[in-house]
Amino acid sequence: MSATTSAPSSPNLDALPRHSVGNVRIALVDRDSGFLTVLRRRSSTLGWEQRELTSIPSIDALVEMRLHLLIVDIALLGPQWAEAIEYTRVNLPELGLVICTGTSSVGQRVRGLRAGADDWLTKPCHPEELIARGEAVLRRRRPARALVREPVLAGEIAVRPDQFQAFCSGESMDLTRREFELLHLLSDNEGQVIERDEIYQRVWGYQMAHGDRSVDVFVRKLRHKLAQVSPTWTYIHTHFGVGYRFAPRIGKPEDDLKKSGKSEKGAAKQAARASAAK
Amino acid sequence: MARKGTEDRGLLKLFERAGANAERAAALISRLLVSIPDSEGIAAQIVEAEQEGDRITHAILRRLDAPGKPLRDAREFHTLASAVDDIVDHIEEAADAIGRYRIEGPMEQANELGRLLAEAGSEVAGVLGDLRRGNDTASRIVELHRLENEGDRVSREGLGALFAGGIDPMVVIRWKDVYESLEAAVDACEGVAHALETLAFRG
Repeated sequence: MSATTSAPSSPNLDALPRHSVGNVRIALVDRDSGFLTVLRRRSSTLGWEQRELTSIPSIDALVEMRLHLLIVDIALLGPQWAEAIEYTRVNLPELGLVICTGTSSVGQRVRGLRAGADDWLTKPCHPEELIARGEAVLRRRRPARALVREPVLAGEIAVRPDQFQAFCSGESMDLTRREFELLHLLSDNEGQVIERDEIYQRVWGYQMAHGDRSVDVFVRKLRHKLAQVSPTWTYIHTHFGVGYRFAPRIGKPEDDLKKSGKSEKGAAKQAARASAAK
Repeated sequence: MARKGTEDRGLLKLFERAGANAERAAALISRLLVSIPDSEGIAAQIVEAEQEGDRITHAILRRLDAPGKPLRDAREFHTLASAVDDIVDHIEEAADAIGRYRIEGPMEQANELGRLLAEAGSEVAGVLGDLRRGNDTASRIVELHRLENEGDRVSREGLGALFAGGIDPMVVIRWKDVYESLEAAVDACEGVAHALETLAFRG
């Protein structure tokens, strides 16, 4: 980096928690060798692939590179820099685009962001800040579910987003796509009551028509399959008139306990009385 | 409004059978609607009812068109036979649409329309039985008109819910077809009432 940007008493940035974005391919349009070297070392630590370019390549070349993030110093693009940014954005809407350049005016920054840049940093900047902003752009650009590849373990089942399937003791539950997406949504939000309307919107992708009972049908199917593979556990609880909550527990669902007039506390009291009477 | 049966007792027994078949089909579609998507077996029974309905209708029409002295009120009986046949045909259309479109779950308004249709089917069976026995059919005719009005209201509610913003266009297309067939079936039940009113007027 050409200028020092000493962060006074800066915290240990490496120790700060990072939200994993997985394997990333970035390219930098920049000529500052010091800046590029520092970033190269950080990218290497993170397991990112970094390319260094002196101009924005053609769209076809960018597509071949399969980049996730392009960081551009607009000083290398000449007076038509905004058009180049806009052209890249229009043709590659999924590509993260960050401008990292020298001193600029408000007008330039506004123009750049409106042309399609996701963020704008002014040099000199700390490489960790550039990395963090790049990660933030990647999180926003990718569908949320794509970032979460780790299995969700709940009770006796494992929900595997990478395989669009759930498993119990290693055996597939043979969920349909819709059933899996419903289970994934519920298990991703363990403990929360999710309203039917919201479930429909997030799984089906549309507003739910008033009176549509598809959510209930699919919850029923899911419960049936869960009960087949994990019969002593209950996973999905009904909140009547509202929606459903995912909360794995051994025994009956809480809504069934309430219907029968029993509760865990009640059952425990009864057991205590029975024991005292002996 | 008592009307004595015609000389052709056999004809009125066929109409009674047609009414019972329509009642059965209407009860089946009501069950099917609440059972979606696990409704294949019921759909198959509806197809059987539609085929049975066709057989009975053909038997009625052959009897009406038999050579010799023309039956009094033959045209009105033709209309009555068509109306009963239409009930089952429209029910079969609705069941077919549900299967063909692979509709994923029930719709409350459609369930209610199915219940009304089942009630109307019972009234149709009852009124055609009354016709054969020479009983008064007035109260059942009034009930059929009431059920058709109710059916219109529920159908409008169901269709209205589909056209709220943001609904999947494919859901709209599928359920619109189903609602239209169900409503046509309820209308056909009222068609039976109209045909009987004409018969009574001419009697």
